[in-house]
Parts: sequence; C-alpha cells; structure tokens
Amino acid sequence: MNSLLLNLALLFMVFAMIPCVYRVIKGPTVPDRVIAVDAMTTVIVVMLGVYSFVQGSVFFMDVALVLSIISFVGTVTISKYLDEGVVL
Amino acid sequence: MSSIDIVLELLSNIVLIIGLVFVFLGMLGLLRLPDVYNRMHATTKIGTVGAFGVMLSILLKVGFSPMGVKALTVGLFLLLTAPIAAHMIGRAAHRHGVELCKESIIDEYGKSYK
Amino acid sequence: MKRYLLYSAPLALLWCFVHGDVTILNFLFGLVLGPFVIKPFKPLYKFGQEVSFKDAISRIPKEIKYFVMLIIEIIKACIVVGKIVIQPKIDIKPGIIAVPIDTKTHAGITAIANTITLTPGTLTLDVSDDESVLYVHCIDASDPDGVRESIKHDLEKYILEAFE
Repeated sequence: MNSLLLNLALLFMVFAMIPCVYRVIKGPTVPDRVIAVDAMTTVIVVMLGVYSFVQGSVFFMDVALVLSIISFVGTVTISKYLDEGVVL
Repeated sequence: MSSIDIVLELLSNIVLIIGLVFVFLGMLGLLRLPDVYNRMHATTKIGTVGAFGVMLSILLKVGFSPMGVKALTVGLFLLLTAPIAAHMIGRAAHRHGVELCKESIIDEYGKSYK
Repeated sequence: MKRYLLYSAPLALLWCFVHGDVTILNFLFGLVLGPFVIKPFKPLYKFGQEVSFKDAISRIPKEIKYFVMLIIEIIKACIVVGKIVIQPKIDIKPGIIAVPIDTKTHAGITAIANTITLTPGTLTLDVSDDESVLYVHCIDASDPDGVRESIKHDLEKYILEAFE
C-alpha cells in the first residue's frame, strides 16, 4: 500500500514535469524559460526526496539540497545578467 | 504498531497527497497563465508550498532521523529562497522590456525608472 | 571572542541540520567551525553594535504571532491561486501597484517583501531608490486602494512589532 502510493507519486511528478519542458521549449521570452527551469528543479527536488525514502538511502537528500542551492544561485545570476549585462 | 503510529502514517499520507496536488497545480499554472508575472505567482507560491508539504510528509514518516532532518532543511531552504528568486527575475524581466499581458489594467512601475 | 561565539551559534545549528544529526557533540563541533566562516566575512557582521538580550527575549511572543499569521496567509494564498489555475476559462485583471511602506530598517523591508510574495495574489517586484515604496504585482488589481489598505493593516502591523 505504502510503496504503491510512493511509486504513484513519482509517476505523478513526471506528469508535472511536462508543462515545464513545454515552457522551456516554447516560452516566448528569456525570463519565461528561466522560471520554467526553476520550477523544473523544484519538481526534481520533490522526486529526489520521495526516491530517497523509497530506496531508504540518505544520500539522495544531499543531492536534493545541493540541487536546490545551485538552482537558486543560477536564477539570481541569470537575472543579474539580464538586468545589468554583467554578472559580478 | 500502536495507534499513534497509525495516526502519524495516515497524516503523512494526507500531507503527501496535498503536496503533490499543489506541485501539479503550480506546473499547470505555468502552462496556462498568460504572462511571466502571472506564471511566477503560480510557481513561487503553490509549487514551493507543495514541495515543503512533501518534505514534511517524509519527516512525519521517518521521525527525527538524519533523513527527516535533512528533508526539513531542504523544505525550509526552498521556502526561504523562492521569494528572492522571484523578486530578482521579475525585476530583471521588467527592465529587460517584457510587456505585461493585454488583460493588465494598471502599471505604476514602468514610469518610475525611465 | 564572546561575539564570535554568539554569531557562530546559528551557523552551528545550521551545521547540525545539514549534517543530519542533532546532538550536543555535533553542535559543539559546529561552534568550533563557525569562526572560520565568520572571519573572512567580518564586514557583513556588526561587531560594534551593542546587543541586549532583554530586548530580544521580549520580542519572542510577537514573532510567534507573526509566524502564525504567516502560515495562515500562505495556506490561503495556495487556495486562491489554485482556484484561479483550475478555472476552465482564466479571467484575471493583473497590474502593478505602488505601495508606500513605513518600515525603515533593511531587515524589516526584506521581511515585508518576502511576506508579500507569500501572501495571496501579490508578488513584490522592486523597491524604490529611497526605500519608501514597494512595487507589487497583483493578480487582481481592479481595486488598488483596497490592496494598499490590506497590506498596511493586515501585514505591516505585525512586521513593525516583530522586527523593529
């Protein structure tokens, strides 16, 4: 019962990733693509969290933490580049 | 298996389902809403809170073991940084020249920096 | 030296949470590691400022009230935006509104901007140069004065009590 629910959760998150991929490919402007990538990272972090519980291994949680940090820094960097033309 | 375990298990499953539905609704908003600013409403609010709900359900399932504590850390980090990222990208989009969608009725920011 | 210990206590707690083991031994190890992080970033910390524990402790009940209000608003925000997303035909009137604020310190402005982003239907875009006006994107901007009024009365009151 429990394992079935978690596997269905992983499947559901794959369906949630389809709109993000559509928005990354189609998005009319650059900021659209940036927020689509940011949202995709959120979905991947959720998937990693659930997968970590399914596998019973702590190490996927570290991957989720590092991925969320990289996503935040990447978003801030790209928005600074769009705004001012330089990063630092 | 005592009764409190059953209650915790049920509660964590409910929180997990609510979180998954919220994440899915956020991504649906990314697909359906008309322009960048409205899409940011969907992803930063519902998507982030849904992710926090899933992490909270993992904490309820495993208790305060290393996995649960790390899940709580990831959830709090997402909740703390999503508004800042949205703020940065919205400001950059407006200054980069992205127009508001045609349903918009008021724009008091455009005349403040030109 | 005392000041180093005070500032490295939050870092030690963060170390415990990232490491995954919340024990007293791990906390002490984090306390030892903290000054190595604080030393290179010394200009960011206010070493000259006096700290009064009485003031910090007397503020705790107001901060708890603020966090309870924040949680309720976040849940409301999710339901409001979720309803808009699952409508068969999307019917919204978005717009950007200038909202004047009373908070003066940088911590207060950060807190109110992040709180506005997490509450229903509003999203902060920018602060004006003299830090007195916030520009807020609103998903239903048909009543700008109502939005200004609700931010002033429902949110800012708690922030002024808790952070200033």
